[in-house]
Amino acid sequence: MSVLECKDLCKSFGHAQALDHVSLAVEPGRIVGLLGPNGSGKTTLIKLANGLLTPSSGEITVCGMAPGRESHGLVSYLPERTSIPTWMTTTQLLDFYGDFYSDFRRDAAEEMLAHLNIQSRQRIKQMSKGTREKVQLIMVMSRAAKLYLLDEPIGGVDPATRDYILSTIIGNYDPEAAVVISTHLISDVEKVLDEVIFINQGRLVLQSSVDDIREEKGMSVDELFREVFKC
Amino acid sequence: MLRKLLKHEFRATGRIMLPLYLILLVTSFGANLSARGLLNTQYRILDVLGVLLVMAFGIAICAVCVMSMVVMVQRFYKNLLQDEGYVMLTLPVSVHQHIWSKLIVSAVWFALTLGMVILASCIVAFDIDFIKYFFQGLGELFGELRHVEAYYAINGTAIALEFVVLCFLGCCAMCLMFYAALAVGHSFANHKMAWSVAWFFIFQFAINILGSAVIIFADATGLDYFLTNYIHFGFMAGIHAAMIFMIICVVVYGAVFYGVTTFFLKKRLNLE
Repeated sequence: MSVLECKDLCKSFGHAQALDHVSLAVEPGRIVGLLGPNGSGKTTLIKLANGLLTPSSGEITVCGMAPGRESHGLVSYLPERTSIPTWMTTTQLLDFYGDFYSDFRRDAAEEMLAHLNIQSRQRIKQMSKGTREKVQLIMVMSRAAKLYLLDEPIGGVDPATRDYILSTIIGNYDPEAAVVISTHLISDVEKVLDEVIFINQGRLVLQSSVDDIREEKGMSVDELFREVFKC
Repeated sequence: MLRKLLKHEFRATGRIMLPLYLILLVTSFGANLSARGLLNTQYRILDVLGVLLVMAFGIAICAVCVMSMVVMVQRFYKNLLQDEGYVMLTLPVSVHQHIWSKLIVSAVWFALTLGMVILASCIVAFDIDFIKYFFQGLGELFGELRHVEAYYAINGTAIALEFVVLCFLGCCAMCLMFYAALAVGHSFANHKMAWSVAWFFIFQFAINILGSAVIIFADATGLDYFLTNYIHFGFMAGIHAAMIFMIICVVVYGAVFYGVTTFFLKKRLNLE
């Protein structure tokens, strides 16, 4: 069964069509790049999968169910902006995730936090922007979820932090789960991807495995992206 | 899950409200010192200090009351409709549980604020003639009540209880009106806060219009005449009926705002 499936999915905001009859499926055990230029509908798709938006028409399912309370327990979501409560200390944040998610691996989170020298009594608001993003990622990747939806996890951080984030994703996700990484920084994520979904102006342009792109088209994902989305 | 939400909600709000209560109690001790004689000394500096302590107490009371309202609105706004909403609204809990947790915690802080203001006022008046007279007055009142018929004693207590229930439900309904206005306002693409304020006034206006319409309807149709002359409502029964009617009205409009809030959070959510 697909972990994430869209059938004829449409979403409009007033007259603006953010998603236009998108149909796709993401299978377990795959790391999928959701790639497209700014404003192509990547974040809208991820928000729909999280139930933060409701579709205008069509259907979206997560592990066979409509986004909602039950699916939230199976999805680990990293929003594009830092959204963890900043008044909390690191320990309180661990308590928070541990309380609400039965699949939260507190020991794994504590190990990663210790690796970054983050004090348990330090408040999130006392941390730098980069550290906050790392803490949020640690919380998200410390869950043994069925689907990880990561919205721009490497946007706006330095190259060293990008490497840390990608290694954290690769080192912590459940091999039986699927990971969807939304980004427009393709060259940085290409090495970790199994599959790509190209999306532009709300329409699905391409869904293919990275190996097929390399073999059939003889180019990297980054090169294909530049060709498809040439201005 | 509601229990867990409540735990974190109390943790989030307690860090603001508990220090405020502590400040209120400290200033009440200061005001007590003033009342004991600091205001009537030969030294001007002590007189000024006495006035400042009383002022601090007054400001603390205002701050605690205002902050319990601000915290009620701000928690809903920041926790569900701002950045934190991305984390909160993707937790495996329902929208109903989110709203109930906010509502219960706000109601508890309102009740505690009332309790703390009463306690602080008692501290200010402690060991002074005023408190002696107050309890003397209470004693006399209860003494008089002994002579009052059971009919009035029971009805008086029931009316007082009905009034407390009405006030409590009124506070909850007011919270829900704030929540509904915020939820509707934040479903717009732009100027979300301005829309929220506008919707708050629209809701207020609608309630006032409906309230007036009910009174005009009762008057025009002779409902009051019917109730007094055909059902034979006595004075006490009339007060009970009015109280129960107001409680039902508050529950109904609270339920409407609850429905509006859940609908907009479920179907019209539009986080930035």
